[in-house]
Amino acid sequence: MILAAFSLLVALPALIWAAAVFDRVGTGRGATVLGPLCNGAALMLRPNTSTEAPDALNRLLAPGWYLALALIGLSVVPLAPGIVASELSTGLVLWGACEALTVVVVFLHGWSPNSPLPLIGAYRYVAIGLPAMLLSMFVLIAAALPAQSLSVVEVVEAQRGLWNVIRQPLGLPLFMGLGLAVTLRGPLDYADGAELAGGTSAEESGPALALWQFARLAMLVAFSAMAASVFLGGYLGPGLPGPVWLLVKTVAVMAATVAAGRWFARTPPARMLTFLWVILLPLSFANLALVGLEVLP
Amino acid sequence: MTDALFLALSALAIWSGWRVFRVDSMVRASFQLMVSFIAVGLIAVLLAAPYIGIATIFMMAVEMMVMALFMVMFMMNPAGLNPMMMVHQHRFAVAAGIAAFAGLVLAVLLSDLPAQPVPADAQVVRALGHELLGPSMLIFETAGVTLLSAMISAVVLSAHSGRYGGSDEGSRPPGLQPGGEPAGRKPDRHDGHHHHHHGGH
Repeated sequence: MILAAFSLLVALPALIWAAAVFDRVGTGRGATVLGPLCNGAALMLRPNTSTEAPDALNRLLAPGWYLALALIGLSVVPLAPGIVASELSTGLVLWGACEALTVVVVFLHGWSPNSPLPLIGAYRYVAIGLPAMLLSMFVLIAAALPAQSLSVVEVVEAQRGLWNVIRQPLGLPLFMGLGLAVTLRGPLDYADGAELAGGTSAEESGPALALWQFARLAMLVAFSAMAASVFLGGYLGPGLPGPVWLLVKTVAVMAATVAAGRWFARTPPARMLTFLWVILLPLSFANLALVGLEVLP
Repeated sequence: MTDALFLALSALAIWSGWRVFRVDSMVRASFQLMVSFIAVGLIAVLLAAPYIGIATIFMMAVEMMVMALFMVMFMMNPAGLNPMMMVHQHRFAVAAGIAAFAGLVLAVLLSDLPAQPVPADAQVVRALGHELLGPSMLIFETAGVTLLSAMISAVVLSAHSGRYGGSDEGSRPPGLQPGGEPAGRKPDRHDGHHHHHHGGH
């Protein structure tokens, strides 16, 4: 348990750096490899901005909560057989609670500065984030069915014969939608969009903004590790040791999520809301029903 | 260790529950209530009920977020940051609170609570699943559907009266003088299509 937590904390900064590099590849925003570090250092030297009559406590704490939720979510991912930071019989539910609290934290991040653009971002994000989270829970329940357990360890072990990405082909694409929502990127970034001058981060600067971006990338790492474990067999694989397989799959999901965020068009929030409720949510029901038929004895 | 955690979480639950009625904003009140429920959920985890505990945290996060959103939507306090009074009917509320607290304390003190610890190899999540989808299924499903229909009805009934009259009659602002013509832009007598055919009439 302590070994797993320690390895995660050692690997996380490097993975966050890799995520930041992926975000810059092909965008022409400065140096690709060293740029994120320079930007982070520059932000750390700038002062935090203040707004009129903010909710100072929530404004201060929101980036920290976001990072904490990413770490708690990451802690249920098993690194190798028997090595997991928090060995819970209900790991998938804990991940779901992290998703739900992420919506709350992003809302508080936009609500607390008491400023129009962050507030609009916060409300839009709640409307989109809640259905995205809802459908991810149906997808995760479908992944838990063949394992007959809510524990992520059991879900990985149940994929020894066949990975869930083949057994439940709808699962991973639907779960990627959640990944775009909890990491505030691409077509589901209604919180921090450029059309709101940064949305919930519009009033942020300095270390607070640096921590928020860091937490956002940490959440991308946590989501990718979770998707790799639940759908791509986690540490399972031939030849290489388990943790290396997990690392390779996590980086692959991370790259795919960043690419999906760039590839898919953004829509007005109302249209995205209809799409989520009318098309994607029934698809997740269909996925659950198919998996239920498959595991019937 | 467990005792210290239990006491700290209980204190957090009670303190944040009290703060719900002392803060001046609906959003703050919702999330104070959420903190209180998270503390209760963690106590359930300590009591070897991991599914119920973590599911409480999950449910309450969603529920309080939706509640904050709906309260702000229906009470026309656009941001939820504007200070407002969060309590009303003081005397009745104080009396009801004291009576409920005394009743619950009496119930805890007088009832014979089980004290044997849960065996380490007990499959609590599986047992809960069998209970929920076995003997108690009818009760839970009935209660769930009843609550859902109650929520939808409440929204339909309360959303009907808009700012300028019934919401299904279109929005017509009141007149500038009492009983006068409605203020604002006059709607066209003909719709665009009709107007196009009979231009000049």
